Parts: sequence; C-alpha cells; structure tokens
Amino acid sequence: MKKSKWFSMMLALVMVLTIAAGCGNNSGSNTGNEPSPAGNDPAQTDTPAGEPKALEGKLVVWTFFDQVKEMGLKFEEKNPGVEVEVNIFPGDQYQTKLLSAMQSGDNVPDVFDLERGYIGKFIDANFIADLSAMGIEDLLKDYIPYVRELGRAADGTIRAVSDHSSPGAFWYLRENAKKYLGTDDPEKIGEMVNSWDKIIELGKKVNADSGGKVFLMQNAGDLFDIGAYNTEPWVKEGKLNIDPKWKTYYETQQQIRANNVDAKLGFMSAGWGNALNDGTAILSAMPAWATFMIDNKDDKAVGKFGMAKSPEGFYTGGTYRGIYEKSPNKELAYEFIKYIASPEWQEYNLGKTGNMPGSGKVYQDNMDTFKVNLLGDQNPMKVYYELVNAMPGIAPDKYGEEVLSKWRKVAGQGITNNTSYDDVVADFKKEVKNAFPDIQVD
Amino acid sequence: MNSKINKSYFGYLFIAPFFIGFAVFGLTPILYTFYLSLTKWDGFSDPVFTGWDNYVRIVQDAFFYQAVLNTLIIWVISIVPQLIIALVLALILNEKFIKGKHFFRAVYYFPHIITPITLGVMFSLMFDWQTGSVNKLLMEFGWVSEPINWFNSPWWSRAIVGLVICWQYFGFNLIVFIAGLQSIPSEVYEAAEVDGASKLQTAWWITLPMLRPVFLFTFITSVIGGLQLFDAPLMLGNGPDNATRTMVMYLYETAFKNFDYSYGSAIAYAIFIVVMFFTLVTAKASKLKE
Repeated sequence: MKKSKWFSMMLALVMVLTIAAGCGNNSGSNTGNEPSPAGNDPAQTDTPAGEPKALEGKLVVWTFFDQVKEMGLKFEEKNPGVEVEVNIFPGDQYQTKLLSAMQSGDNVPDVFDLERGYIGKFIDANFIADLSAMGIEDLLKDYIPYVRELGRAADGTIRAVSDHSSPGAFWYLRENAKKYLGTDDPEKIGEMVNSWDKIIELGKKVNADSGGKVFLMQNAGDLFDIGAYNTEPWVKEGKLNIDPKWKTYYETQQQIRANNVDAKLGFMSAGWGNALNDGTAILSAMPAWATFMIDNKDDKAVGKFGMAKSPEGFYTGGTYRGIYEKSPNKELAYEFIKYIASPEWQEYNLGKTGNMPGSGKVYQDNMDTFKVNLLGDQNPMKVYYELVNAMPGIAPDKYGEEVLSKWRKVAGQGITNNTSYDDVVADFKKEVKNAFPDIQVD
Repeated sequence: MNSKINKSYFGYLFIAPFFIGFAVFGLTPILYTFYLSLTKWDGFSDPVFTGWDNYVRIVQDAFFYQAVLNTLIIWVISIVPQLIIALVLALILNEKFIKGKHFFRAVYYFPHIITPITLGVMFSLMFDWQTGSVNKLLMEFGWVSEPINWFNSPWWSRAIVGLVICWQYFGFNLIVFIAGLQSIPSEVYEAAEVDGASKLQTAWWITLPMLRPVFLFTFITSVIGGLQLFDAPLMLGNGPDNATRTMVMYLYETAFKNFDYSYGSAIAYAIFIVVMFFTLVTAKASKLKE
C-alpha cells in the first residue's frame, strides 16, 4: 500500500516536472544565443606598444540572412582569437523574435541584422547602440549616401551599417533587345528609355511590332520601386505627406497599363521569371541581387544579358547591422561592424557573391574591372554607381515602409481597375488613418 | 481519517500538471493580452495605460467590421459544400457493397494533412491569372476567351479561399460522419428493411435524425475553426479592397506588421466575443429543434 502511494506520488511529480522540463529545455537550447559573459569581454589583449592589439572574445550575431556566416568566418580568420556565432532565423518572424528578445533582455545577441523593410521601426529604439559616438562616421565618409543615411536615427546618429547597396537597373536579354529595339548596346538602350514618355512610346511600338506578344516592361508596378526612394518621406512632422511626384508616377503607370507597355507580371512571380528568361518582357527592373532568377543552368545565360540605366536610380532591400546597447561585448562588436564597413570585406564579398558594395570607394576601385558573367563584357558597376550615387540619402522612419506598402496596394489596384488618382488617394488615406491613428491625415 | 485527507491530495497532484501548464501557457497570456488591450504599446517603449480607448476605436473601425463580414462570407462559402460533400460521401462509403472504402477514406483525408500554408501557395499558383493552370485549362476548353483575373474580383477571391478551406476539411468531416453512421444500431435499419423502407427513406428518416449530435459537433467546431481562418487566406493575400482579409489576418496585420500590439490585443478580445456569439447562436439553434 505504502509502496503504491509512493509510486503515485512519484508519478505525479514526474508529470509536474515534465512541464517544468519543457520550459527548461526551451531556454536551454537557446543558451548559445546568450551574449558571452562579461568575463570574456575585454576584447583586446596587451601586446607590445605600437602594434595593433589582437582581438579576443566571442560574438553572437543574429540574422535572417545565411551569407552572414561567411562574414563571421572571414572575421574569425582575420582575428584568430575571436569566435563569431551566427544564428540564422529565416522568415518574417525574425523581427518579432528580435523585438521580444530586446524587450526582455534575455538571450540577446551582441550584433543583429535589420532588413530595409523594418529598419525604420527599430532604428530609434533605445536598445540599439549609438555608432556615431563610437566613431563610425569617419569610416562612412565615402559611403553611397543612401546606404549610409538609412542607418541614421531620428536624433541624427548612426545606429546601423550595411556592407552593401542593392542598386537596380533594367536587365534585358540581348537577343530580344536587338530584335525589338534594334540594338543591344546598354548605353543606347539607356538613352532610349531615359524618360517615361520615351518608355511609353517605345512600349507601344514593341507591342505592336510583336503582334501583342512582347512587352517593353514587366510591370507598371516597377514605378513603385523607382518612386519609393526618389520622393519625399510619407510622414512629415506627424502628418501624412503625399509627394506630388506620386501623381505623375500614377498617371504614367496608368498610361503604361493602357498602352500595353507592361506584361502585368508581379515582381518575382513565376510568370515574371519566365518573362525575364525568355525575353517576352524586354526590360526587367530588378536589383543586383535578383540575378538568381536568371536561369543559368550549364552556363547557358552567360553573356546573354545586358543592363541599362532606368530613368531614375532605385534600390530594393538591404541588410543593416547594429549593436545591442547593453551588450557586454560592445567593443568587439564595434570591431565587427568596422570590418564589414571596410573596403577589405566589401571587395572580398563583391568577388565572392557579386553583392554590390556600400562603399563608394570600392565602387570606384572596381568599376573598370568587375564583371558579371551573365553580362559578358559590360561593367555593371559603372551603371550602378551613377544611378545609386545620385539617390537622395533619406533616414528611415517607423511609418515609411508600411505606408508605402499601403500605397502599393491601393494604387496597384487602381492601375488595374483604371481608378482616378483622387479616388486612389481617398482610399489610401482611409487605409493609413485606420492603420496608423497617430498619423494626421487631412 | 488521516489517510482519507492524503488521498485527496493525490488527486490534486495528478491534475496539477494540466492546471500548471494551463496557468503558465494559457491563462497568463490571456490575462496579459487583456491588460495590453487597455494600453498603448508598440513593443519598443513601455505600455502606457489608456483605459478603454482601444475598444472605443474598435467599435468605430469599419475595417474590423469588414473583416468580420469577410470571415462570415468565406465561412458560409466553405461550410455549406463542405458538409454536403462530406455527408453524401459518408453515406456512400458507409454502404456495404462499396469496394475499397478504406482507400477512398484515406484519399479524401489527405488534404487535411497538408499544411494550410502549402494549400494557400498551391491555390494561388493554380489561380494566377496569367500563368495559372486553371485559366489555361478554361481557355484550352474554350470556356473563356480571356484569362479571368481571379484575385482582382472580391467574390472570386472569397470563393477561392472558401474552396481551399472546403477542400481541406471535407475529409475530416467525412471521417466524423462515418464514425457517427457506424454508431447507429443496425437493429433500426433491420426494422426499417422489414417494414419495406427504401434506401432514400432510410437515409432521410433514420440516418439523418440519428446523426444530429454529430452534426452539432461538426457545426460548432467548424464555427469556431471557420471564424479563426488565418493561414490559408494569408497566403492568398488581402484580396481587392481587402475582400479576403479575415478577422485573424487583421489581428496579425495590426499587431505584428504595424507593431500596434495594444490594438491587436483589443482585436483579439473582439474576435473572442464574435466567436462566442456565433457559437452560442449555433448551440441554441440546434437545441431549439430538439
């Protein structure tokens, strides 16, 4: 009897503990994410005076992007005393995870990545270290202005740095360009499409010549990407601000759609990829990193593509890196940020992945020599540099991207249904007012 | 005397794991959500207590009402064919002379195993207006001359979401119905046979009335499940004029995309009230008939 009592008590205990163990396991599996204890902290060891000090310690980096691993490895290679632990959390949930970690202060990384899409929400938070105070401004002097400014908080200090730019341009299949535009020379094509009026006229001709089968552009929606960062911020002094340029863009988009200039294919959709590869849409507005959409099996696309300037420069996306304010490894983390901002890493990365640099100097040093095999002899960096260097540097804010996505949605629908600009603006205002009651909307 | 008291302690110990688990992972978040709904909180700074402001906002929020309406429409579009198909197939598969019943039951259940996200992606590819297989087929057969822009029409979008849900769940309901059919005692059928009832008469006068508890079960679970529609419609997008934005999608968008956690919490409570209301209506309506 007694035995069975003990047995039942033990069983109950085991059941209770199982639950507790569940929690324990959870936090246990994350221990690797904790910033290393302060004991490891002193990032530098003493060396004879005059020589640079060797770095030491362990850094924890959180990202959503797998190429950061390579970054960590190269930093370790350069600093043998340093260990970089890169934790990758792919997908949308990364920002929620990051936010809750920062809020609770548990399991926090030393360095973390922020994507262009939501950097504006994080940049002013008090858990991101001020890099300007640590001296980063000097290193960013020759940066592409838009890349540098995207890491700036409302108080004017730099809080995050990117090691790359994401410039976009028109990519085209040379064969089809020759057939329908009469040339495959990037400069000539760039001139043929350097204004929206020219694009519409040329688009009409291409569509007529091909019997309605070929289109000049992929999507009138490409103008959202181009307009996105060539216009004033959406929110100014707490008020919704619709740049008058959007009206011009919208009317252009309507004309593009009405005249069959675009193939109406969504960016990165399956149809979009097909049109890029078979040339049924001659010009694809896309960022440098999107070349993975080109089917280059057995090198069949090598030298087949060309790249021409778009009427205005644009970029799509970007990954920024900041330091956790309360990280015990701040100095070492700063060394890591310095490294990714350096021409040394960016040149290596350019060669290895083809990611365009954030530094203007790296652009200048490589623009005559750097080649992408898809483009044959063309030097893409020249085109990109001119476009991207002329883009305005705009600091991010917490509303910008979300308001832009509302505009994309409402105006995109408007283009499809041929709605008037005023109606689109009215709908857009309703959406903004509802989602962000803090923004003043008249 | 002593041992009696001890025995009751064991009882508590045995039920403790559930209650501890529920308190930590269920009750605390529920109460915390309520607290958040009374604040203003973007996740970055500390929550500021604002009283009932969020609830006042929700009462005036036309987009929320639209989301409720969308959810109900999509639910009706999915539940009606879903229950009819499940019931008809269950009646057929319950017949003794059908061969390969087990095979068919398994096949019809398959869609339920696929994750809703996959279903959403699959259907959005199938119904893509330019490259999707559905338009290609329709044009191949000459039924339409121009491809239909499905996701540009509010009603087509809702119908497609309804179709996804219907296709996903009819297999599950089928299994429930078959279980219900098998619990009907065979004596009743034998008596009917002796009395000379036809197959249709048996189905109408015996099977359907005796399936009522099962109906009630599937109906209430589908009300609760249907009103919480989220993952599949999320993959298909908000639709034109937000026609396929369901209540939970609206909650997700508010809390996790716009980082308005406090208003998101208020929406969560509002959804709870809506779901409770419709569950009660369903339960009441089914009792009235008895």
